[in-house]
Amino acid sequence: MALVETQDLVKNYELGGETVRAVDGVSLSIDRGEYVAIMGASGSGKSTFMNMIGCLDIPTSGEVRIDSIATGDRDGDALAELRNQKIGFVFQQFNLLARTTALDNVAVPLIYAGLGNEARREKAQAKLEEMGLGDRLDHSPAKLSGGQQQRVAIARALVTDPVILLADEPTGALDSKTSEDIMQIFQSLNDQGITIIVVTHEAEIADHAKRRIEFRDGKVIEDVVVNNRRQIQT
Amino acid sequence: MIGNIKQKASGWLVNVAIAMTALRTNLMRSILTTLGVMIGVFAVTLAVAVGSGAQVSVMQSINALGSNMALVFPQPDTGEGGRRSFDRGRLTMRDARAIQKQISGIEDIAPQLRSNIQLIVAGRNASTNAVGVTPGYGKVSNLVAASGRFISEADVRSAARVVVLGPTVARKLFGDFDPVGETIRINRAPFNVIGITESKGSSFGNDNDDIALIPISTMRQRFSGDTLAGPDDLQMLFVGFEDGVSLPQAKREMTKLLRERYRVRGKDINPFTIRTTEEFMKESAQVTGIFQIVLVAIASISLLVGGIGIMNIMLVSVTERTREIGLRMALGAKRSDIRNQFLVEAAVLCVIGGAMGLILAIAGGTALTIYADFPVPIGIGVGIGAIIFSAFIGLLFGGYPAVRASRLSPIEALRSE
Repeated sequence: MALVETQDLVKNYELGGETVRAVDGVSLSIDRGEYVAIMGASGSGKSTFMNMIGCLDIPTSGEVRIDSIATGDRDGDALAELRNQKIGFVFQQFNLLARTTALDNVAVPLIYAGLGNEARREKAQAKLEEMGLGDRLDHSPAKLSGGQQQRVAIARALVTDPVILLADEPTGALDSKTSEDIMQIFQSLNDQGITIIVVTHEAEIADHAKRRIEFRDGKVIEDVVVNNRRQIQT
Repeated sequence: MIGNIKQKASGWLVNVAIAMTALRTNLMRSILTTLGVMIGVFAVTLAVAVGSGAQVSVMQSINALGSNMALVFPQPDTGEGGRRSFDRGRLTMRDARAIQKQISGIEDIAPQLRSNIQLIVAGRNASTNAVGVTPGYGKVSNLVAASGRFISEADVRSAARVVVLGPTVARKLFGDFDPVGETIRINRAPFNVIGITESKGSSFGNDNDDIALIPISTMRQRFSGDTLAGPDDLQMLFVGFEDGVSLPQAKREMTKLLRERYRVRGKDINPFTIRTTEEFMKESAQVTGIFQIVLVAIASISLLVGGIGIMNIMLVSVTERTREIGLRMALGAKRSDIRNQFLVEAAVLCVIGGAMGLILAIAGGTALTIYADFPVPIGIGVGIGAIIFSAFIGLLFGGYPAVRASRLSPIEALRSE
């Protein structure tokens, strides 16, 4: 059953009086449990597509359905609720709150889910422990390495138990060794049944996925199953 | 239901925690912004307090005069703007007696002559206001002798050289020593001190105890000189009424009586003026009310400037933290969550500033009370009001930046550098 579905998805931008079609009629379906890499050069429309299925950006036309929920007729607050419950985000620059402990960073989505203080701390701590950061709860981002920061960000993305994990160049700011660690985490999360969609321009990262979708000029030019998938030994 | 309330409360607490972190991050900036609100709240609170202090002070001085009283003095009443038929005012002892006889509800009357005199005893001297009085003065102005006795009917009849001193004059001349029975010289003539009045305190920096009372007849003979138009003239008449008497009604009756006595017709100006304590109170309340409004209005300008400072810094804060706003939205923050976060931040800034301003105002008010002898009451009501008002300033001036933050598009906010 399709978890993410798009139908004739179009996104136009006005740039210097000219209309640029960033995403040009994309229809896609991603099922529960998939591990998808979205590839393409910069300007290919992959990030715009990602922002729309993440309900961060509003399509010019077409439709996005998340877990069978049509998003087109939802207002900003309803989309915020949807993001909070269904989608976890991982960003290239981690986007952690400075001067805020790892625990409090991970607990942020739970504030907006309406959980009380106790419940927030408990859940956030559990997720951080899963990420192997049980001894870093009170560290602020400045005191964590890049890999640790990204693991905090992954814990934050997962703390509301979303069905989809959206990662935009998650290893873009990390060295290759640390990137491998993050990919290993993604793989084990996928093994646990979480649907993962990774936007990347690095072939090595894309090779970890089960399915590769390539964008060019706002259109999907390739949508294939990854053969010889890179599996990290655990 | 209870869980829901708990969640809501916890949501606000989270906002306060976020605000504290944000404010600590830019500590210097936060302190400077707070300073603006602090000065504003200080100024407004002190203005309110000084205004009500003035009100209290004026009411005290009117009450010190005597509560239910009319003052009649020989000054043409130009209030109505009619034809002037007298060059100068008139008021005589005979008028006073006629009033006492013909107007109902009068407790007593106190005809007076006033003059500045010099008192000397054993090398010390003091200059004070002397009031020539009859025994009625004590009753009408609620003045009793704390020691010795008051001016008697016999003193007046015989134009006796006796004096009742106010506590301030007594202290100046005799220190702590009780002077009753001593002899002092007033403008070179020996006078016997027969009593000391009770203290009536001071009102508006005016010492009510700096006074010397002598019989009105003695005053007339010795100190009034040629300032009076006739041998029977008065400079002031207090008419004390019994409780429950309508002062406006009594004033009308007295006016009618005196107009008949002076044959004032139609719209001609009266050669006398009658004022009641009730009128004084009303007028003073009006004047001090305007005084307070003007003070608060001027002080409010500084609070306005402080509020604009808040708005300015909140706009900067929103711009600086656009990315954080985008992130929070991506993680599920609704518009109201973002708006409340910044509203709480502005309110926290203002309440901290307001609390400091209130403390300053209490200190300033206490200093004024102690050093300027001017009552500046800052009650719990004013204190709570100041804090609530500062929070309101925060919401008012933080409102626009907060709403602006909440209207950002998540993706644009997230992409901003």
